[in-house]
Amino acid sequence: MKQISMNVESRKKALRYFFGKVVDPLGFKFTPDEELMNFLLEQEVILEGKHGIPFCPCQPLRHDRSRDMQIVCPCIPFHRNHFDSIKRCWCGLFVHKDVLDPDKLPQLPPVEVSHE
Amino acid sequence: MKNVRIYTLSTCPWCRKTKNFFTEHKIPFTFIDYDLADEATQNRISQEVDAAGATGFPFVRINDEVIIGYQPERYSKALGI
Repeated sequence: MKQISMNVESRKKALRYFFGKVVDPLGFKFTPDEELMNFLLEQEVILEGKHGIPFCPCQPLRHDRSRDMQIVCPCIPFHRNHFDSIKRCWCGLFVHKDVLDPDKLPQLPPVEVSHE
Repeated sequence: MKNVRIYTLSTCPWCRKTKNFFTEHKIPFTFIDYDLADEATQNRISQEVDAAGATGFPFVRINDEVIIGYQPERYSKALGI
């Protein structure tokens, strides 16, 4: 696949603008941890350049389109109960709107959280 | 000495924190960056993490105990440190 060359910083800005619109009505916001946010957005631009899609930097591609579509950022709608339970998405790019200290949020898998 | 094996992604900051945890505590470990591995290795890892109910990385196996996600307190407990 032809390597898509793009200006990383401008693409990060575009993703940040677009993602913000998507996650706000879901009750999520960008992590207050600016360094983590910048790093994750950069990884997503790299993944987008490689695969054509900004996949989650912390979940594996399975070469199965139906599964891989569930880790396209922002993937919150596909993991709603899980992420509401831990008040963050898996990679931590997004947290619940009331979160002030994201470092306190444990990265627990679905099998370790109860879904009310 | 406990046997520590980690599956990671080269793009994942929590995976880097996990590697740093074991390095800083001078605990020897082996790791595979899933996204940089060949497809056969990816398929094998996929089955292993699916069996454990994991959807994301880091995936840490300390002897027979599996710890999914960056959970340093559980690493310490499993290592007895």
